[in-house]
Amino acid sequence: QEAAKYDKKVMVLDFVTPTPLGNSWGLGGTCVNVGCIPKKLMHQAALLGQALQDSRKFGWQFTEEVKHSWMTMTESVQNYIGSLNWGYRVALREKKVTYENAYGEFVGPHTVKATNKRGAEKLYTAERFLIATGERPRYLGIPGDKEYCISSDDLFSLPYCPGKTLVVGASYVALECAGFLAGLGLDVTVMVRSILLRGFDQDIANKIGEYMEEHGINFIREFVPIKVEQIEEGTPGRLKVTAKSTKENQIIEGEYNTVLLAIGRDACTRKIGLDTVGVKINEKTGKIPVNDEEQTNVPYIYAVGDILQDKLELTPLAIQAGRLLVQRLYAGATSKCDYVNVPTTVFTPLEYGACGYSEESAVEKFGEENIEVYHSHFWPLEWTVPSRDNNKCYAKIICNIQDNERVIGFHVLGPNAGEVTQGFAAAIKCGLTKEQLDSTIGIHPVCAEV
Amino acid sequence: MGWEEKQVRGYLEFTQTAQRYHGRPIFALFCGDKDAEGRSWCPDCVTAEPIVRKELHNMPDDSVFIYCLVGDRAYWKDPNNEFRKNLKLTGVPTLLKYGTPQKLVEEECFKAELVRMLFTED
Repeated sequence: QEAAKYDKKVMVLDFVTPTPLGNSWGLGGTCVNVGCIPKKLMHQAALLGQALQDSRKFGWQFTEEVKHSWMTMTESVQNYIGSLNWGYRVALREKKVTYENAYGEFVGPHTVKATNKRGAEKLYTAERFLIATGERPRYLGIPGDKEYCISSDDLFSLPYCPGKTLVVGASYVALECAGFLAGLGLDVTVMVRSILLRGFDQDIANKIGEYMEEHGINFIREFVPIKVEQIEEGTPGRLKVTAKSTKENQIIEGEYNTVLLAIGRDACTRKIGLDTVGVKINEKTGKIPVNDEEQTNVPYIYAVGDILQDKLELTPLAIQAGRLLVQRLYAGATSKCDYVNVPTTVFTPLEYGACGYSEESAVEKFGEENIEVYHSHFWPLEWTVPSRDNNKCYAKIICNIQDNERVIGFHVLGPNAGEVTQGFAAAIKCGLTKEQLDSTIGIHPVCAEV
Repeated sequence: MGWEEKQVRGYLEFTQTAQRYHGRPIFALFCGDKDAEGRSWCPDCVTAEPIVRKELHNMPDDSVFIYCLVGDRAYWKDPNNEFRKNLKLTGVPTLLKYGTPQKLVEEECFKAELVRMLFTED
């Protein structure tokens, strides 16, 4: 849309290869269809369940037991997503961007072949190309994985309640899904191979895990599934999962209605003809290395988003990178995308917002003696009346002593972490120091005043 | 040609008609009432109608096109009218594919390309 603003002739090729279970979706990419949007809505559904419980202590009286309907929630979520898909179609059309629901692959210099779902092929040439094909969930490669397991690609439109669920993985996708499924009243177990939330501050990751465990989510640590078999067909059916310990020779078995795999995502770069035009990718990870202007080693081919090597996988970042790229190419702008100090939030039952360095990476980069960590537990006022945990919420900032105690890492674990973090991210971008933070008067009574 | 038109007036007639054709693709155009001379109180509806009608042949076979007059201006302006409450309509004219989130509102209906896209989208 940005390029069309500058009167360039633009085409978008978007195609979703169906999941092993046959699932597909409309225009908008992962975030809109099988990522952030449905995830946050379902997380909200779970939070509302909790709120209903809390409400009794605040005086609300209702005698019936409160139950949850998976179908009602999913229908509402999918309806909203459908309106977004449609909105994008209209927006592209209005801005005169040609849209084809077809699978694009390079077949020669400056040339792509687009294949639609009926198999019809068309060739297109262009001056420049932008690759933003994103990633898809990884499967385990064990017997029964593709036939019986689901991934996040399937979960948000699942036409039946998943029931007793085993979530395999310890990524934020795994923990967020496990979190809201449990919040909706389902029996959830998480099977973890080693650590939780690799790449995130481990002190906080452990607190998140503890909180989830104390709130009814089972964790099986240091095991990996080796086989998934179907005991009974159905919606949901019954599955038997056999798992092996990563440490000793122990084998365990368990029965679940649904097995959700969330062990990682692989870049969609292997089957789009990149080798035909000479674009280098990291053979091991499939990611594309680019320079600080999002350009690949082939000058007329650019890339943004999750497929980039060594960059955070976040929607707003990809969007910003794309917009700035186009402004540089066609509007004479010079700003490059800032990949440092990008704020993120993990929507686990206890939300976690962060911006900047984790404690471990700060220590690694600056040395333990050069950083100072300030931290505090806090008890959200809203949790006091319903007697919810009084020592779980936590905030910490990491400061660089050598640079005026500049805040280089911000971490908050508590309700509305995303909302809290956004403002601090802007402050950090402006070079916030501890002194400035101390001299900022807090808003009372809110969590963020900590 | 494979499609038919039904003209209705008011919310009740609309829902009854839509239910009757459940299972077939249903498209609906909502406009303000017309006076004795056949002119609507809604100027945008007057502009949109011929544009939409010109694209009707693009609807899939077996479609039903419901042309629905919503009521007079006062009824429409009431924020609690049934079209606003139940169908979530926010303006007239509105052209929508019943049962899906796909719709075009007000000036979007003036663009033949968008109307065509609505009629031919999967």
